[in-house]
Amino acid sequence: MVEVKHLTKRYGVNTAIDNVSFMVEEGTIVGFLGPNGAGKTTTMNIITGYLSATSGSVTVSGIDTLEEPNEVKKMIGYLPEQPPLYLDMTVKEYLNFMYELKKVTLPKEKHIKEICGLTKIEEVYTRLIGNLSKGYRQRVGIAQALLGNPPVLILDEPTVGLDPKQIIEIRNLIQNLGKSHTVILSSHILSEVQAVCERIIVISNGRVVADGSADTLAHDLSDEHKLIARIEGPEKEIIYAVKNLEKVVDVVSLGEKEKGVYDISIEGEPDYDLRKPLFALLTRKGWPLLALKTTDLTLEDLFLRLTSTDYAPEKSFVPQKRPQVELLLDDEGETEGSEVEKTSENDEGGAD
Amino acid sequence: MKAVFKREVRSYFSSPVGYVCVAAIAALYGFYYFAYVMLYGATAYAKDVYSVMFQFCMMIIPIITMRSMTEDKKNKTDQALLTAPVGVTSIVMGKFFASFFVFFLASTLGLLPAVALNFFASPPWGIIFGNYIGTLLYGGAMISIGIFVSSMTESQVIAAIGTFVISIVLMFIDGVTSNFSNEILSKVINWISFNARYDTFTNGIFSIPSAVFFISVMAIFVFITSRRVESRRWS
Repeated sequence: MVEVKHLTKRYGVNTAIDNVSFMVEEGTIVGFLGPNGAGKTTTMNIITGYLSATSGSVTVSGIDTLEEPNEVKKMIGYLPEQPPLYLDMTVKEYLNFMYELKKVTLPKEKHIKEICGLTKIEEVYTRLIGNLSKGYRQRVGIAQALLGNPPVLILDEPTVGLDPKQIIEIRNLIQNLGKSHTVILSSHILSEVQAVCERIIVISNGRVVADGSADTLAHDLSDEHKLIARIEGPEKEIIYAVKNLEKVVDVVSLGEKEKGVYDISIEGEPDYDLRKPLFALLTRKGWPLLALKTTDLTLEDLFLRLTSTDYAPEKSFVPQKRPQVELLLDDEGETEGSEVEKTSENDEGGAD
Repeated sequence: MKAVFKREVRSYFSSPVGYVCVAAIAALYGFYYFAYVMLYGATAYAKDVYSVMFQFCMMIIPIITMRSMTEDKKNKTDQALLTAPVGVTSIVMGKFFASFFVFFLASTLGLLPAVALNFFASPPWGIIFGNYIGTLLYGGAMISIGIFVSSMTESQVIAAIGTFVISIVLMFIDGVTSNFSNEILSKVINWISFNARYDTFTNGIFSIPSAVFFISVMAIFVFITSRRVESRRWS
């Protein structure tokens, strides 16, 4: 649906995005993740035709943005970080203006009414945009992006500045829209991206550093793949029994957590799922499993790690036909607080 | 273009800007008709009314055009315009015609005193229409320049002052030729002179070459403005 190939954008000597490539399939919700100045907004602006790229190409449904810009623009609904609203207009006037500007051919009143219902702005339909709350302005921004029912929606930080209730409402709206649209959204809120997006593209210093689902990335980026099981039973017997399971590399007790309850760290061979055989063993032995967790990275860890300068990819990311993890990272070193801080400082000056 | 035109016209009249500009021009026309034609009791002075009003119009045009492009850039509403399936030239033309419409409205209201005068005397309609059309053409050219200036900055004040300075320069540039004997300079100034073209209209003569000149200036500046807006994509 949306294919970005080797996109580079330079502002003088500063490179905002460098050889960014990815492909978004039809009907998926993709999240753009990255620190300030990483290049998320620049990439989105280029896809929508607001900016041009220094090199590279963007195609939507096979149509190049440079060859037929207006055709591509018809297929994209865009909500920039700051909704492009005319504060001196009422919601009704604004949506009618955008309807005409976008040359929408759907039945005007019915279509606008539907969108207002979807974005829940009926009650402010006749009010001046300048008098609306931030949440309603954001909704009006989303409403204008939906005009013409474009197959691709690009939403740049759609929940920024909203209160928790509004965030949940907008998030639900995006999830609903994702059923019938291809959605690309950027956000700083990691939980939001995890909750809404099927796939995450992490951009750091203008480069794609990871691309895949949150779970896959978290698993593949973890240096160790251990299970921490909290088991009630005799400590030594548990360790002995678990060690005898197939493909178990190491078993270590992390100590007694409650009376007769132990945390056991279990390391298996890479890419082998130990959970089923472990569960079967404990059931057989009659040792209750009280908790089980993996040592995979959380999305927060993942974000900090991927956007740290140590993890900048050496070469460009080449998109695959289907979403899968493509990590171009070094396996060396842990992310340290000082390094992360340094990265954040460096990123602030860049173009977003 | 139509959508942008409608929005811009609505925007002029949803704030005091449109009303103030139109009312100021109309009121000044009324006052000068009274001061020159009524008090002197001679319709021939209608030409002097337009001579004075021309300068007021050139002062008001920067106020009409100052927000044309600056406001969109400042409020980021240009993102809605430039990501819509319309050409940049259409957007600029929409804005140009909206500003021109406000000026047209003001200038047309300026004809009302002449119409009223028609009931009691015989106004020199040739001179009046010549001035009216000349003012519209000169004003249109200045509006296109004003929109271009507003595309260069995010500040309405700078846009207004810039357009005002250009308007002053164009009004007095012809005087330079009398002070300097440089032939090439004189030729260049005559070639770009707005006043020389405008003067033919003030005598009640509809000069097609002059009209073409002003329309060309409008077209050129609309084109340059759209290239200027487009160039921001590449910066």
